[in-house]
Amino acid sequence: MNILLVILFGITLIYLCITERFRIHTKLIGFQGILLFALAFWELEALTVGNLIFVASETLIFKAIAVPFLLLKIIKKTGEERVFKNDFHELYSVVFISIGFVLSILIAYTMKLQVINTTYFIISLFGLYTGMYIIITHRKIFSHLIGFLIIENAVFLLSFAIGQEMPMLINIAVLLDIFASVLLLGIFAMRLKQNISDLTILKDE
Amino acid sequence: MVLLGFFILSFLSGLLVFLCGFKHNQCKTLVKAITLIFAFLHLALVVYCWIRIDETELTYFIFDKLGVLLLSILSLLTFTTIYHGFIYLKDETPKRFAIYHAALIALIFSMSGAYLANGIIVTWIFVEATTLSVVALIYHDRTASSLEAAWKYFFVCSIGITLAYIGILFLGFTVSGSDILELSFSELSKMSLKAEPLYLKIAFIFIFVGYSTKMGLFPMHTVTIDAHSVSPPPISAFISTTLMNVGFIAIFRVYSMLSTTMQVGTNIHQFMNNLLILSGILSLLIASGYMLKAKHNKRMLAYSSLENMGIVAIALGVGGIAYYAAILHIVLHSLTKAGLFYQMGQSKKVLGTYMLDESGDYLRLYPAGAAALMLGIICIVAIPPSGLFISEFMLFKAMVANGEYFYLIATVLLLTFVIYALITRVLHILFSKPRGNENPYTETHKSNKVNPVQTVSQFLLFGMVIYICFSQPEFLKNTINSIIQNLPK
Repeated sequence: MNILLVILFGITLIYLCITERFRIHTKLIGFQGILLFALAFWELEALTVGNLIFVASETLIFKAIAVPFLLLKIIKKTGEERVFKNDFHELYSVVFISIGFVLSILIAYTMKLQVINTTYFIISLFGLYTGMYIIITHRKIFSHLIGFLIIENAVFLLSFAIGQEMPMLINIAVLLDIFASVLLLGIFAMRLKQNISDLTILKDE
Repeated sequence: MVLLGFFILSFLSGLLVFLCGFKHNQCKTLVKAITLIFAFLHLALVVYCWIRIDETELTYFIFDKLGVLLLSILSLLTFTTIYHGFIYLKDETPKRFAIYHAALIALIFSMSGAYLANGIIVTWIFVEATTLSVVALIYHDRTASSLEAAWKYFFVCSIGITLAYIGILFLGFTVSGSDILELSFSELSKMSLKAEPLYLKIAFIFIFVGYSTKMGLFPMHTVTIDAHSVSPPPISAFISTTLMNVGFIAIFRVYSMLSTTMQVGTNIHQFMNNLLILSGILSLLIASGYMLKAKHNKRMLAYSSLENMGIVAIALGVGGIAYYAAILHIVLHSLTKAGLFYQMGQSKKVLGTYMLDESGDYLRLYPAGAAALMLGIICIVAIPPSGLFISEFMLFKAMVANGEYFYLIATVLLLTFVIYALITRVLHILFSKPRGNENPYTETHKSNKVNPVQTVSQFLLFGMVIYICFSQPEFLKNTINSIIQNLPK
């Protein structure tokens, strides 16, 4: 069951790289939240009621509902529906994602980490790669935020790979981080409504 | 319990200051009073920490010498930053005045926590808290560029802090079965002796790259440059000094912790040194390159911070007496750079611009400020009688002693470019006329004159740096020697 969920998570990563519509990005991020909750529920053996409530509110309420809701609102307000036209062609994306996936497998098997669940490790490495890939290749800051959210989800998965739950304080800090980044993006959207596509004011020339 | 009291009072002060902005129209005096009381509270904490040196409090905090030394610098710069902040925000609305000071209190609180943290997770949490609080300060001017800088800073720091967390997860392998939150740096250090070097190397790479967003080192230096250039000058002073020190202490603690593994014959220490030197040299390279084409006075100083952090990283990597140089450099850089950024705020007031081409004739318009700027630049480029000359000289001596001539030549060459860039630009600001405008300074510039009393704090800071060149107090020497005593020779 867990492996199936992890593989599903991996598929969402591939889809996130290829799709051009922000609405789909947002929905996939929400779906990842649900997957992470299911994984936490099955994976963490000593899950107390308090922990369960916290993990549920973190993954289901925050990652699966609140963040996508805010992102959809920003999309509606700005009218930004698609990634920039001249971004990487889908074909190149597929090639780079495939390379990333193979690299993740190679790294995971080269390291031969006995204490790590290999499948989880591969997918979380792939998640880190995907997040970075989206941040680097996409110009719009909305995409950057999506990349950041993917990285946060990958780290969440990585903590499962190691078999350690993230300490609650770290969890709260990460949640604050995500919340503040969505909030800042909201301010961006409202203040610089006409052009939130790229960051070009500050430069050295 | 004193530390807990400080944390509670910090929270209450910040909250009270924040609420003042919404509740009272004439709240500025109250905000000023609370902020000053908080600064004195912080000073009292520093005194308490020195009395209880090397003791642990609240399980997760320790008053070790490095933490308390940096906390003392923070306390000193808190007073000067608050003072210059009051001047900078003289005409600010009560609401924004209150938000600024609430965020400042939160930032000082977070930085204090990061300095005193006695565990890798607690450090991480406080470093993260500094990001959240400083963003409000970067965005203070509410301009498009400040919004962009705030976003970039927040975004890249968040990525950085996530990378650092991945490093901590890898480090978690070394303590399998134990709760990493419960472990102090010294306990982790003992456990890392038995750890697989590969995991330690991976952990260090992630932690180093992650925290380099805070220290402003290559490869994550870009965001601090933008943040410096648009923040209010007193905040630039903070970001460039005490906040960079947060990144330094986070990296230094992990570095010291893992250095002990050298005793069991692994090469992790050499690996960390190589990484530090590489990052330091690349930081110098980028700083010198961009300083040569800098058109914005504050950005130029921001690149100077990158250069100085590069020197600190190289010094750590070289080792030996360069360890001493690294700590001394961090201390003196904090004092010098803070003074320079305060001066930038004053020069903006007099000249009406941060742009290099539009600046000039500063000596005639504001002689006291010009003298401070000149003195500050002499200090920052490490020309005697600057105390930074001592730290850089020690670094070169260590390089010669270790036979690292390639690093020596590269460092000296790049520093030459930095000195050339800084000196020529500052001479232009001081003596030349603004380019393309022969007589730009009219009545508005006369009315914007700064009271020379406001420049006294800068002279005091530079005076301390110069004093160190001639005589290093025994207390400072002993403290630094004690900080580096456990590092491999």
